[in-house]
Amino acid sequence: MAPPAQALEQLLGRAALGERGAFQELYRATAPKLFGVALRILRREDWAEEVLQECYVSVWRHAAEYRPGLAAPMTWMTSIVRNRCLDWLRRPNPEPLDDETLQEIESGNPGPLALLEQGRDSAALARCLRGLDAKQRQAIALAFFDGLSHAELAQHLREPLGTVKTWVRRGLAKLRSCLELPG
Amino acid sequence: MNCRGKPELRERLAAEYALGTLRGRARERFKRWMRDDPELMTAVRSWEARLAPMAQAVEPAAPPARVWQRIEQQLEPKKKSSFWKALGLMTAGAAVAMVAVAVLLPLQRGEVPASYLAVLSDPKTNRPVLVATAARAEGVLRVNVLDPAIHVSGRSLELWALPQGGKPRSLGVVSDQERSALKLVAAADKALGDVPALAISLEPAGGSPTGQPTGPVLYTGPCVKYW
Repeated sequence: MAPPAQALEQLLGRAALGERGAFQELYRATAPKLFGVALRILRREDWAEEVLQECYVSVWRHAAEYRPGLAAPMTWMTSIVRNRCLDWLRRPNPEPLDDETLQEIESGNPGPLALLEQGRDSAALARCLRGLDAKQRQAIALAFFDGLSHAELAQHLREPLGTVKTWVRRGLAKLRSCLELPG
Repeated sequence: MNCRGKPELRERLAAEYALGTLRGRARERFKRWMRDDPELMTAVRSWEARLAPMAQAVEPAAPPARVWQRIEQQLEPKKKSSFWKALGLMTAGAAVAMVAVAVLLPLQRGEVPASYLAVLSDPKTNRPVLVATAARAEGVLRVNVLDPAIHVSGRSLELWALPQGGKPRSLGVVSDQERSALKLVAAADKALGDVPALAISLEPAGGSPTGQPTGPVLYTGPCVKYW
């Protein structure tokens, strides 16, 4: 289970004031989740280590810019890591998808989505994802978890690019209106 | 060419940026738009918040110990001055002056100096806009507006305590006077003891009708007990 946002906010605040101990505690509480996120997108351990390292150094430097009113700490840090991973993938020779991911795509297995149902904060999102067409849900999950671009989605789902783009666009729009409804 | 005035396009691009399907040159261009378009940035933050719970479903993986060792080597020490940097990049002179006002002057006058100090700043410019201080045993928060331009005509700025592990608590509406005082619900040690940060939100005239922030959070800053 994710550590409570308030505890992480407090650690970030203390790190902003230069307290290394608080920063190390923040690292211990959040690194396994964020390493998992990076590993899944980059599919190579050495790259994920590199990105994680860069991201935490950046969090230490920018901790004072974190604004509790604007985003939960885990959301803020997850976005830093995901954005860094996506920048990393722009470099030449991204790693091809491994067999496991390919099998997951072929079997239509929702993968980590099943885990979402268990989280208190994620239950609404899980409910709304369930409400999407299977194709829309699969495209959005692969894009989020595995960092696939539209072109990669089209390639791996063996569908025309335009079709895949439409799934993503409609899926996101539907997700938004579903999340705005009261649970 | 940008996406202003095209709400549907903006919303779609913000969603795809957050999801990660916006790539290559389109992603770089979108980042540039976002830099000078706070509303677009807000749309992205909203999408990140909507999608973030998905990351909780990713299988965690313990990074090897060398990752923390390398991070640790790169952490520059934040010396004393960075306390002030963290509070909003004040000049050393301004920082000294502020301590003098908050601590030394009252001491000279034989008064109890302020114990709690919060400096709220503008996240965009990092400039401090408001200082709040309180003596630990007193139920009064002294507010000093550094930048009178923060006031918005027809609206109120409401000051909030952001307690650890709880909802924001209103401290009251910021007066348009340069210096003013707000009544705390209890002595500062009780009212601010569990509060690591303060924030200011933009509210309808007279303050939030709900008791919780309803408008955007414009300024925030750490609330430090140093005495």
